[in-house]
Amino acid sequence: MLGISMATFVLSITALALTLGALFTYLAIKSKDLIKAAIFSAGQSAAFALAFFLLMAPDIVLAYVAVAVGIYTVVLLYVISKTERYEEG
Amino acid sequence: MNSKEVVIGVSTALLLVVLVAVVLLGGTAHTPSSEIRPLAKFYLENCLNVFDRTWWTASPEAVTSMLWDYRGIDTYYETSVFFLAIIGAVALFRVVEVKLKAEENERRESGLSIIVKSSTRIIFPLILVVSASVAFHGHLTPGGGFQAGSILAVGPLLLIAAFSRRYLEEHLRFSRDKFLVLRSVGLILIVLVIALPLAAGAVLMLNQPKPWLPAYIFPVAFDPVWTSGTLFFFNVAEFLAVGAGFTLLFLLLSIPEEEFKRVLGI
Repeated sequence: MLGISMATFVLSITALALTLGALFTYLAIKSKDLIKAAIFSAGQSAAFALAFFLLMAPDIVLAYVAVAVGIYTVVLLYVISKTERYEEG
Repeated sequence: MNSKEVVIGVSTALLLVVLVAVVLLGGTAHTPSSEIRPLAKFYLENCLNVFDRTWWTASPEAVTSMLWDYRGIDTYYETSVFFLAIIGAVALFRVVEVKLKAEENERRESGLSIIVKSSTRIIFPLILVVSASVAFHGHLTPGGGFQAGSILAVGPLLLIAAFSRRYLEEHLRFSRDKFLVLRSVGLILIVLVIALPLAAGAVLMLNQPKPWLPAYIFPVAFDPVWTSGTLFFFNVAEFLAVGAGFTLLFLLLSIPEEEFKRVLGI
């Protein structure tokens, strides 16, 4: 396959997923809209879940997706609903 | 995009490049090799070794074998830490014993739009099925009790968000006491399975017989279901305990703030 070994291919996708995660983290920190920040955080978790899957840790993926994408995001949204949506300053 | 953001972007990229270069040049002294290390080799060779059953766990899933057999006591303590955390939450929320339905004149919570409600109705049973399959296959495929329990807990959380807490209490008859009972049943089941080998004079949490211990046989399969000895029962019990524990936590967290203020008289 174009002279690229399977391991290199998988590691490249992993690097891509982790870079995407870093990008989402940056956006989550910069965002003044807290709802958007929570969604970006979920995107970061999804990118990390893909990386875990590619690094052959399916057990981690199952717990990570449920907690980091599902439970964590909903609890954050619930907390935001108790306060203001927009960050000041 | 102003100059400040450009500086942040360039320095982040530079940091990544430098870190990768340092790791590639051997700066971390030991980089994990792609070869399997001796400990991993032991688990992979022994967890389903039908020829030499001294160290086997009767399960093809090395991770579950470790969690509930090789380092089973560790997992038991993890479960008790989770149990204590839930106990703490229940103790904190003990002031709100009042049922929400007692409030007649309170405005009815209507939840989110019809689109969200309809898609939740479709997704909710799927979440239940996925979590059950992860739990019941935990000793054969990736997954296990904790993973399945946390997937299960997403279901009620979604219902609370899309419908309302009142909907769960009135239509689905969810209550705090029911989940406390369910979680306790899971924990008691775990303790029973742990204590079972003691009856035959063997040690705690023994899964498959060991040559240096008194004879104790726990069947690896209840025909036609392969249960990997005790692993299946541990997974199902942990599934109950974690799923019910998380759901209980969400039920407590979703009590409206007004209710607290009314009960505490603020």
